[in-house]
Formats: sequence, C-alpha cells, structure tokens
Amino acid sequence: MTIPVGLLMALCIAGAFIAVSAKNVLHAVFGLAIALLAVGGMFLYLGSPFVATMEVLIYVGGISVAMVFAVMLSQAISSVDEGEGWVRRALGLIPAVAFLAVIIPILTNHGLPPAPELPAAAWSVEAIGRALLTHYNLVFEMLSVVLLLAILGAIAIAQRPRKGEEETS
Amino acid sequence: MSVTFEQLLGSPLLALLAGVAAVMGLLTVNALFLIYAERKVSARMQFRLGPTEVGFAGTLQTVADMLKLISKQIISPKHIDKPLYHLAPLVVFAPVIASTALFPFSEAWSIVDVNIGLVLVFAFGGIGIIGIFMGGWGSNNKYALLGAMRSVAQNISYEIPLLLSALSVVLMTQSMNLREITVAQGEAGFWFILVQPVAAVIYLIAAVAETNRAPFDIPEAESELIAGFHTEYSGMGFAMFFFAEYSNMLIVSMVGTVLFLGGWSGPGPAVLGPIWFLAKTYSIIFMMMWFRWTFPRLRFDQLMSFAWAIMIPVSIANLIATAVVLKVV
Repeated sequence: MTIPVGLLMALCIAGAFIAVSAKNVLHAVFGLAIALLAVGGMFLYLGSPFVATMEVLIYVGGISVAMVFAVMLSQAISSVDEGEGWVRRALGLIPAVAFLAVIIPILTNHGLPPAPELPAAAWSVEAIGRALLTHYNLVFEMLSVVLLLAILGAIAIAQRPRKGEEETS
Repeated sequence: MSVTFEQLLGSPLLALLAGVAAVMGLLTVNALFLIYAERKVSARMQFRLGPTEVGFAGTLQTVADMLKLISKQIISPKHIDKPLYHLAPLVVFAPVIASTALFPFSEAWSIVDVNIGLVLVFAFGGIGIIGIFMGGWGSNNKYALLGAMRSVAQNISYEIPLLLSALSVVLMTQSMNLREITVAQGEAGFWFILVQPVAAVIYLIAAVAETNRAPFDIPEAESELIAGFHTEYSGMGFAMFFFAEYSNMLIVSMVGTVLFLGGWSGPGPAVLGPIWFLAKTYSIIFMMMWFRWTFPRLRFDQLMSFAWAIMIPVSIANLIATAVVLKVV
C-alpha cells in the first residue's frame, strides 16, 4: 500500500503547488481540485470511506465548480499583476509560520495514539445521521446558519444590478 | 454471497487490472450498441431506415465510425489553453470507469462492493462536470465556453433533485450500499417504483438532464451553439466526450435500476441476474432515447426554473413525506 499512498501524496502536493503558483486563476482552481481529490484518496487510505466520498462530492464536485463559476463572473482571469511588495510577503509569512508551528510537532511526535478501528456499523446512514443531530448538533446548526448567510449574500449580490430595471423575461 | 475479483484472483493489483478491463469492455460494447441503437430508434421514430449498409442491418456502422475517428488527424485551434484542452476528455471519462465498477450486476457479480456506493456514484459524477468546464474553457471558443457554462449550471441544478430522489430510497432502506438496496427490494417483495413513484419520475427527469440529453441538451444545442463544449474537439478527443456521454447514460440508468426497479431480481434462476439487470437498464435507456426524439428542446431559462421551482420543491416534499410515513408506519 505504500506506492499508492506515495502517489496520492505527490498528487496532493503537485495540485497544491499548482493552486498557489499558477498565474491563471482557473489553473489554480483546477490545481486545488486535484489536491482535494488526492486528500479524498488519503481519507480512503486512512479508513474513512464516508469522509473520502464527501470530500469528493462536496469539495471537488461542489466547491471547485462554484469557484470556477465565481472566477468566470469576475473580470480578470489571468495576468493579474498585484505586485509582490514586502508587505504582502510578510503577511504571507504569518499563516505559513503558524501552520508549520502546528504541524511539525504533530508530525514529529510519534507518541500519538492511533485512532481506534471503527466497526462497520459506525458507517451506517443511521449512525452518521444520529451523530450529526446529537453529538455534533451545535456544529451542524452553526454550519446551517453560515450557509444561510452565504445564500442571502449571493441573492443580495445577484439582485443589485437589476434595481430600477423593468422585469424582462 | 458475493465474490469479488480480489478474492478470485488473490492479488489487489490483478483485481484492479481485471476490474478495469471488465469495465472498459462493458463500456465499449455499451457505446457501440447505444450509438447503433440511437440511430435505429431515431430512424424508426422518423420513418427512416437508419444505417443499413455496413454489416448485417448496419450493425457494424459504429465500428467503422470508430475506426474513422481513430485515424483522423487531430486538429486543435490556436491559442487554446493547452493543459486544460488536452486533459478535459480524460477528466470527463475517468470518473465514468470508476462509477461503473460499483454496480452489482447480480447477487454474485460485482467488481467492488462498497458501503456508500450510491453516494460514490454521484461524487464521481461531479468530477465529470469539472472536465466539461476544462474543455469548454480550454477551447478558446465562445460557443464552447457558453456550452460549458450552461452545462455546469444545469448539472449543478439537477444534481439536487437527483440526490434528493435517491435519498427517499435511502431513507427506506437505511443503506447507501447498492447491493443492500437491491436486496431490500427483494425482501420487501416489491420494486420501489411502486411506493416511490414521485421519486422515480423525478429521478428519470433529472437523470436525462444530468446526461445532457434532449429535451435538456441545451449545452450542445446545435442550432445555437454548434456543438457546445466539445465544438473544438476532433478525432478521438471528440470520441471520448461521446463515449463518456453514452457511458453516463448507462450509469444513470443502472442507478435507476438499482433504486427503483429491483436491480438484478427477476423470474428464473439466479444466473439470469445480470440479464435482468441489463434488460431493465436498457429499457430506461430506451425511454431516454424516446424522449430525445419526441420532445422539443427547452429554453435555458425554462430549464433552470423547472429545476429550481418544480423539481427541487417536489423532491423535498417527497423526501419529507417519506420520512413521515416511515415514522408513522
């Protein structure tokens, strides 16, 4: 199983690299889609088929496509020259350092206990639904509110140009 | 009990190769057959003859067409987005192979048996949408881009009723395993189309839209967009899109068979399972062809409002009604 996992990791890193380095925004989105697909594969390897499927269904099939749409609606698709001043570089350094500060101790700490093997029954529709609506209810409801706000925002943005215009079909 | 390739061949790698070979064989035969069938069905519905020359009653016409497409020079337009343009046919086609492997063709025949097969089929379907967009954008052509945008908007909209109608069945069986859904219908003694007629109709309509077929073939409406997102593809690039379209028809019809028509179940010994499964699948495909040659194409705004104003509310209502009935009974 080591070769497939190595390939997945390479795919993930390559996709992420395209996502951050591509000049063309669309290429960046497709790079992100590759990285997310590989992350889905990693979840599968780690024994979470449900999370892997959701990763593909929501992030690759949903979020990436939505991002492509957002890019299409914006003006500049490529050749955006924002300049790379030292302020931007310094700001970029903050999340990078913070990420490394969290991830390096986790990766180097071998004392972490592995998660217990889940029985097949844990993946049943009923078990997932029950967990979402009881133990994770607060998160679930918060996400609903965030999504509702996103929908309202989308409607507000989409409605603006139509003001003062006659309804034409 | 089911026997997987891995148990049969003893090695995961061999099983993978055998599975891919089996799926590719099925998809190739399916595409050859469906293209021939589409020509004959359309010809019958329009009082024509269809292909008659090559082979017996024109049966080898598609093979001849394939040979022609393979030997064609590949012409790509100037100023295309090279990586996206060349990757698009593969991105559209690869998920199709993965989803086809998930179906139980009979009690004993399936390539892989996963607990969440149903969701996985829809998840792979989402990857194909990205491929369509890559092709439409990469072609550097207005018609292709318009076709791709229409296709993506349509696919996202119709994916919701598709999933919701499938969820009504999942609520009843409490399983997303395609095999268990089939078995549940055998235990219940009836096909789910009898208790879920609304979901079945919504599923069929949404499936036609998902496969970009008439009357929902607006992404490739010839009269306005030439050929939509694959306008600029020639030779095998074009053939791959075509191949993917016919394979997608097979996949949505197989899902429909599993969800609503009892999968492999039918009279006769269990050996006949795959035959029943394919017979049901191809009847759904025949209906989709029937739609294509008898309904006029919708306008794009009609298509979108139909999805959001009718399909989604009805499917949500159906889902809630299913939940209430299941709770009460």
